[in-house]
Amino acid sequence: MSQLFVAAFTMVAGVFGCVAYFYISNLILDTALPPRGAQAGRNINRANAIRPWLFLFPAIFVLGVYLVYPVFNSVWLSLHDKTGNRWVGTDNYIWMLNDSEFRESFLNNIMWLIVVPAASTFFGLIAAALTDRIRWGNFAKSLIFMPMAISFVGASVIWKFVYDYRGADQEQIGLLNAVVVGLGGDPAAWITVPFWNNLFLMMILIWIQTGFAMVILSAALRGIPEETIEAAILDGASPLQIFTKIKVPQIWGTIAVVWTTITILVLKVFDIVLAMTNGQWGSQVLANLMFDWMFRGADYGRASTVALVIMVMVIPIMVWNIRNARKELG
Amino acid sequence: MTCATKRLSDPRSAAGPRGAMRALMLGVAGLALGAGMAHAQDLPFAVGEGDFSWDSYDSFAAEHDLDGQTITVFGPWLSGEKDNFERTLMYFEQATGADVQYSGSDSFEQQILIDAEAGSAPNLAIFPQPGLAADMASRGYLTPLASEDADWVRDNYAAGQSWVDLGTYADADGADQFYGIFYRADLKSLVWYSPENFEDAGYDVPETMEDLKALTEQIAADGETPWCIGLGSGAATGWPATDWVEDMMLRTQSPDDYDAWVTNEMPFDDPKVIAAIEEFGWFARNEDFVNGGAGAVASTDFRDSPAGLFEFPPQCYMHRQASFVPAFFPEGTVVGEDIDFFYLPSYAGQDLGKPVLGAGTVVGMTNESDGARVFLDWLKTPIAHELWMAQGAFLTAHSGVNTDTYIDDTSRRMGDIMLNADTFRFDASDLMPGAIGAGAFWTGMVDYAGGAEAEAVAGQIQSTWDSLK
Repeated sequence: MSQLFVAAFTMVAGVFGCVAYFYISNLILDTALPPRGAQAGRNINRANAIRPWLFLFPAIFVLGVYLVYPVFNSVWLSLHDKTGNRWVGTDNYIWMLNDSEFRESFLNNIMWLIVVPAASTFFGLIAAALTDRIRWGNFAKSLIFMPMAISFVGASVIWKFVYDYRGADQEQIGLLNAVVVGLGGDPAAWITVPFWNNLFLMMILIWIQTGFAMVILSAALRGIPEETIEAAILDGASPLQIFTKIKVPQIWGTIAVVWTTITILVLKVFDIVLAMTNGQWGSQVLANLMFDWMFRGADYGRASTVALVIMVMVIPIMVWNIRNARKELG
Repeated sequence: MTCATKRLSDPRSAAGPRGAMRALMLGVAGLALGAGMAHAQDLPFAVGEGDFSWDSYDSFAAEHDLDGQTITVFGPWLSGEKDNFERTLMYFEQATGADVQYSGSDSFEQQILIDAEAGSAPNLAIFPQPGLAADMASRGYLTPLASEDADWVRDNYAAGQSWVDLGTYADADGADQFYGIFYRADLKSLVWYSPENFEDAGYDVPETMEDLKALTEQIAADGETPWCIGLGSGAATGWPATDWVEDMMLRTQSPDDYDAWVTNEMPFDDPKVIAAIEEFGWFARNEDFVNGGAGAVASTDFRDSPAGLFEFPPQCYMHRQASFVPAFFPEGTVVGEDIDFFYLPSYAGQDLGKPVLGAGTVVGMTNESDGARVFLDWLKTPIAHELWMAQGAFLTAHSGVNTDTYIDDTSRRMGDIMLNADTFRFDASDLMPGAIGAGAFWTGMVDYAGGAEAEAVAGQIQSTWDSLK
């Protein structure tokens, strides 16, 4: 019960606090530099120069504390030992480069980076195009979109059943094994098969993200000027040609944004691997490796070093993504 | 490893109308207590009745008064275990007037560290792994207990010195201090079997490891499957194999070697350790010895794997697992009738006595307060142990308890094994650094079960350990 009050109080205090901050700080500024009197002109100019910073301050402060400071702290920690107290120089980085598990996670991450965004965007685009002009298209869309509403761990639990394995002489309760056995094959413990298990884990994220790609791309497809398509039809283009040569080039920017957005998400992939394999059987990824060192190994130095690698990998994609999104808007 | 106990949730009390009813009643009882209207009939065992050591309760109540104080306790116990623990807390609350708030989490290991870092640690933490407590102690997040507390444990626990050693860690300055009292223990060296199936097939409970291996071969030769082994445990996959290796280590090497292995004085890729891993492999890597074949071992969930014992015809005849595993047996299973256990025997050819592998939860002070100290004193009373013993799924090394209060003969037999062990050793993976005991060791065992060479996985684990130094 007390939590409810605390939550309600926080909300009220938060909202009114914000309003009060902007109102009062604005008031103080106007009092300090009154827009009247002998120096009205100078005061107005100065106040206008200060005002944006005043209003931006809360956002900059919060971003600084919760985003910028942790970055510097991670760099600092990555140069220290596991307790974060003793300077060890580049030891953590040397360890990382020689660690076979790190190399495994790095390569797996690259594979995730290539396969998941490509497959999600591809399937999303196909789904968007196919459902665009049919009667039950919206129904199909909602079905495809639904996995988006499931948490990663929840999705993992569902797919765990899909991949479940029982001994060959027992009844298979896993969907995939049931199908394989039904077709006359031998059941396998899918998530323990090195290399391929990575793809089985990726399948989960693709399943989730296809809906996201579909919704955005479907909106983009609708935004294509009708005239271009009409003109193509008049010129005798086939439906496939219209799709690949008229529609897709016009939404190329959106495809890129969808692709990169999913890419950034993929770099953070963690829940699925933790819940499905915990990185066993050669399926480790960077985020899970970081988690392992942070909370199982209790080693701040190594965890931060791995975290920085993830950050360095994500920055170029992020920059490109934001640029692209801006271009789209502009 | 105790990760299992922590994930152990009694499905029967969590679900079903009876469980819900009980939870509801408990909630009501909690409310009544909170409102200061505690009645004796709210308590599951009436004070002064039965075999309990009520005198220890009375003298404790007379000595301590914590009216209005709140003690926060954080631990790994959830659902059924949480209910059981909270029922024992009701007596503490009634005796002292304190309010104890227990919360449990299945990611205790991560959460406690975060809480301590953030300065919002509970008064007391119940660690399922001494290694974690040692780590917290080395960072200065644990308050050392008095040396009298260590003396008390030494005098009052069976194999007391080993429990003191398990609760003694280096503080931030590197000096050894006594930090925690063990409350609740698990017995690992148990093999579960169905007496009826054994009788039908004409098998006898083996008394030596040689017999156990012969029986395994016998069952396989009869065209049946001797073992059910599952290493799956979600994010903790692999731990059941570490228990196997530890048990094999105790049965092939001296306790001193075991201790040297735990501290890495003896490297992980020592031939003695590799031999112990291969002893496990003798059982788990033989297609004919395990249910579903060797390929199923690593991916089968440890909670599902005992199910094969109960099928008809049986999918397997034996299952090696700790004392907590009945919680995962089918509903209505009566331990001692439908299913029973025998001590995982030692080699007759080796003079190593009857070693016992176990684990336990240790209570340490993460946020000092008077109430927390009194609570630790409470854990020294026999009654604190007996109240849970009488509810089941609780073993203790406290030699002052009345073993008549154990809920059934099964628990009493396990309790006796614990009180009479020649050698008691704690789960090694829980004592090793987290990156090994809850990381590289698991991965190594999963790889080994999947066909990798014992030497290669041991070398891999050792190289991770080397990198920690």
